[in-house]
Amino acid sequence: MQFDQENNKQQTDRKGTESMSSPIRSKEGRRRLRPKLRSSVLAIVASALAVATFGVATSASAAAAKKPTITIWVDSTRVPQVKAYEKAHPTVKIDMVTYNGNANGSGSLQSRIALDNRVGGGWPDIVFSEENNDAASLASSQFNYPAVLNNGTVPSKVLGGYAAGTLAGCTVNGKVYCLRNDLAMNLLFYNSALMTQFGYTVPTTWQGWAALGAEVATQHPGYIVGSVGDNWDDDIYLWPSECHVNDVIKTDTIVINGADPNCTRATQLIDPLVKDGSVTTDSVFSSTFGTTYKNKILMMVGPAWYGQYLFPGIVTNGDLAVADPLSWGSGPTVTGEVGGGLWFMSSHLKGATKALTASILTWLSTSYGSQGISPGYPAYVADETAWVAGQQASGLYSNQIAPVFAKAATEVWSGWSPVPWSTDSVFGSTVVTGINSGQTLTSQLSAFASQLADYAQSDGYTVVTTP
Amino acid sequence: MKSVVSHQASTPQGTTDSLGSKLRRKRKNGVAGYAFVSGYFILLALFGIAPAVYAICLAFTSTGGHVVGLSNFIKTGEDFRFLPAFENIAEYLSIWLASLVVIVIGLALMLHSISRKVSAAFRFIFYLPGALAGAASVLVWLFMLDPTVSPWRLFLGIFDFKNLGQTILPGHLPIIFAIIAFWAGAGGWIVVTYGALNNIPNELIEAAELDGAGPMQTALRIKLPLIKKWITFMLILAFAAGTQLFVEPQLVGEASLGLISPTWSPNELAYYFAFQNNNFNYAAAISVDLLVIGLLCAAVLVFRTKLFEVE
Repeated sequence: MQFDQENNKQQTDRKGTESMSSPIRSKEGRRRLRPKLRSSVLAIVASALAVATFGVATSASAAAAKKPTITIWVDSTRVPQVKAYEKAHPTVKIDMVTYNGNANGSGSLQSRIALDNRVGGGWPDIVFSEENNDAASLASSQFNYPAVLNNGTVPSKVLGGYAAGTLAGCTVNGKVYCLRNDLAMNLLFYNSALMTQFGYTVPTTWQGWAALGAEVATQHPGYIVGSVGDNWDDDIYLWPSECHVNDVIKTDTIVINGADPNCTRATQLIDPLVKDGSVTTDSVFSSTFGTTYKNKILMMVGPAWYGQYLFPGIVTNGDLAVADPLSWGSGPTVTGEVGGGLWFMSSHLKGATKALTASILTWLSTSYGSQGISPGYPAYVADETAWVAGQQASGLYSNQIAPVFAKAATEVWSGWSPVPWSTDSVFGSTVVTGINSGQTLTSQLSAFASQLADYAQSDGYTVVTTP
Repeated sequence: MKSVVSHQASTPQGTTDSLGSKLRRKRKNGVAGYAFVSGYFILLALFGIAPAVYAICLAFTSTGGHVVGLSNFIKTGEDFRFLPAFENIAEYLSIWLASLVVIVIGLALMLHSISRKVSAAFRFIFYLPGALAGAASVLVWLFMLDPTVSPWRLFLGIFDFKNLGQTILPGHLPIIFAIIAFWAGAGGWIVVTYGALNNIPNELIEAAELDGAGPMQTALRIKLPLIKKWITFMLILAFAAGTQLFVEPQLVGEASLGLISPTWSPNELAYYFAFQNNNFNYAAAISVDLLVIGLLCAAVLVFRTKLFEVE
């Protein structure tokens, strides 16, 4: 602009007219300015077009190239597995995107897929999700995202290599939509050194666990036998108690009953322990959990991945031990699970890209190169022995974990179904906030159940109270 | 904002110009005005008006594109999350707007009556938190609210908060979000209100002082009525921004690993409908609800205070 002004000034000065008025204000100046404006507008349009054409050209050349880039979305924990793939297959182009893993009912994956569906493109080729309900959600007509895998996309030999029942959460109406990363069944973790030091024996029932908790509170205050500060604690305490708040008994019919004695027996057991402090209300991933409870966790029921993911640094290496899931004294022992992780691939792929993506998906979820570095117990049977051996060799555990893990993996109760809403999220905003405001778990069960029923009804389910 | 203040301050004094030159200036001003406004207008049309029109279209149609009248509004209104979300936002707004009006105007009046140098320093300090963008300021607050890491853990200890979960109980959320909003947004409004106060002719204040008005009386009887329109303006914008609360509950919810309902505020509920249930029509209906509420509030304030009337 300044240049224009000076330019104009020179011209008007040269003519020796209107020297008093500003050059731009003069008619002359304005006339001269217009072509300039026009040309600069043209230049902007031209450059915009150039950028656009360049963009088209690059994407066209990418499409024309023989090697497609495979976009993989993972949480930060899964990054090493994708890097391992890249290292083992240097010729395959991978575009790895890290996101929050859709954890804790955040729904970020659904958001992304909904947007991609709307614009008709941009779907990630492979996605890892921490949310076990995602097969039900993403395969629904609302999203239609994941590819069916048991139609030859993934060899049936691979699908057959999974532990019995572990693909149940991936299966909707007989179609398998995902591959499990790991099994996340709950176990009883305990500190064997503390157990010996205090002279306790490891409980085998929930009642025994609670009795020991009460003893710990009086004899060794400050030590804990569990935690109820997180929104997945329904999976840890209610699921193994066969509490019917999430049981899809047939298509579109769900049992939700907060007054179910199976639910109250669990909460009534925990309430006094929260009161006496032997069960903490701190989140296990809060910033100070590690320092507050360093070597003060006597016992903790939690998913298999707690072993490698939570306890190192909190429990001295070699003091951690695992025991079978707790039973309720009568009936077969069952347990719950927290997450476990699912690998999905897009249904919007074709031809060579689809085959390549399927092979990457299979590698990430079944090869030992990937599973060997995963913190979770592999769902793919062939990897289990080597993974357990690796864990044992790490020196974290004081007992043999292989038989415990293998047995518990088959004991997950099937009455806790994958549903399109996040049960954990509702548990967090009702029961956990209730505990934090000084209420008991038992008193919050009805609020928990009624909100779950609201979600179920708004998603078109019929809610019943008995199976 | 600045341009409005300076424009008012430099209202043309000279009225002796000839009619011709006046007209010319008017035409020139007109052209320059359009040029200046055009940039904003294009962006407004692309990212403000067009999406709003799109939302209104979506709100009255079904997923398949059929016109369904008010059905989307009725269905979302009957949803179990609808009323709690609007209750939450109403509670939040009443705290945030009341504190905004009382504290911002109080501080601006105080700043205006102390010496310029000191007041400049204070204005800068008040404005500083506003320099942090929305999401960043929430992250700062996440640390402040977690008693295990907060620099204010002593203060949080008075309320017996032992972990983040206890600080962010549902009952505490409206006031927490109001504090965050105030902390991040009030500074800007203090500066604006101060600008408005500077716009008051000195003669008026001097006359009031000569008549024996003390600082308090000058503030309440002279300055306050003269900046009434600015206060209305602030209220309209703050109300509109407040009803759209989203980042705060969303981020605090994620940071607490899901202890806040994902549909805490109406905007979050709209987001949930759009992206969790893939129902953009329901989401649009809720955003139209918010638009109508915002417009109604603005209309009431504009007509009650005669905001657009020029004296």
